[in-house]
Amino acid sequence: MADRFPPGTRVRTRRTDPPHHTRLPRYARGAVGTVLEPEGSSPLADDRARGLPAHTQTVYTVRFDARELFGEGEHSVMLALFESYLQEEL
Amino acid sequence: MSGDHGGATTALSARVRHVEALLEQRGLVDPVELDRALTAYLAKASPASGARVVARSWVDEDFRQRLLDNANLALPEVGLSMGGGLQEQRLKVVANTAAAHNVIVCTLCSCYPIALLGPSPSWYKSEGYRSRVVRDPRGVLHEFGYDVPADVEITVWDASAESRHMVLPRRPVGTDGLSEQELAGLVTRNGLIGVAAV
Amino acid sequence: MARINDVGGVEGFELPQPELDEPAFHADWEAHVFAMNRALLGAGVYNLDEFRDAIERMPPAEYLASSYYEKWFHAVTTLCVQKGVLSHDEVHGG
Repeated sequence: MADRFPPGTRVRTRRTDPPHHTRLPRYARGAVGTVLEPEGSSPLADDRARGLPAHTQTVYTVRFDARELFGEGEHSVMLALFESYLQEEL
Repeated sequence: MSGDHGGATTALSARVRHVEALLEQRGLVDPVELDRALTAYLAKASPASGARVVARSWVDEDFRQRLLDNANLALPEVGLSMGGGLQEQRLKVVANTAAAHNVIVCTLCSCYPIALLGPSPSWYKSEGYRSRVVRDPRGVLHEFGYDVPADVEITVWDASAESRHMVLPRRPVGTDGLSEQELAGLVTRNGLIGVAAV
Repeated sequence: MARINDVGGVEGFELPQPELDEPAFHADWEAHVFAMNRALLGAGVYNLDEFRDAIERMPPAEYLASSYYEKWFHAVTTLCVQKGVLSHDEVHGG
């Protein structure tokens, strides 16, 4: 199965605050970043933590500007994010 | 750290022993095997292993490239792995350069390359480090006594899934005559996390 | 509401003073909790995501007041009871 987001794709993270375990930190919700690379695949942690059947998804390394996340700062933040946390930002 | 004094610790220690004994009755843990596994695990899981990887990459450019391309494949060349008895974790090694500095954190819990560096220091797992380094890395590194030059870009790696990260520090100047082993002696745990230069 | 563990970018926490030459474990029981968790994960009693979830579900005040391996022990016992490996009374006395 081809990766949905090739390197360089601009993606926006999900904004939803789920009532369960997730690996998308609050500070990075609803933010726009750039896919660096797919780094592998894993069963979705949100499902596995709840004992649900977890589909394996691609996990992407996504680069964010600190300014996008915090409104300030000159550094970058890299996050490893499941595909279903992301949508393409057109 | 809370609960590290007298009575509280004794009570906790007794509770841990109690639960361990129950799990032994259920056949889920074997204390002898537990001790053996822990000792074997910790023998390789220490910052000295990470330092060895760094020193090798300082003296062997090809190894360095293989390490940065795929650390899991390169580690066995120096007798190490990210397995440690459980499922192998992905390791990504991120290299500092004259223009770029890297620092690692896990804001959600405490992800850390334990199989390679051993259990992480308490400050790494603290709310203080986790909350602040992602937002103000320069300020946090300053508190560690490391002032990153203003023209060096900082990247913070928040380990929020199954991957683990380790920083590859720059080789200090004036170390041309040192052996690989002596070079390894220069590398600190803080350097491998990215809160020190080396 | 995001959980108490989700502290990235949050203001108000202090960086603790790093300990010089900090050992892997500060007490024997910490090493035992560490090893027990590895054994239970290895035996498939629970998975790593369930383990993280069990820590995150701690009441915020208890989470912030607990040391690192106290949180781990909390998760180990919570999950062993949840999975039916141990009973609540066995773990908590009774």
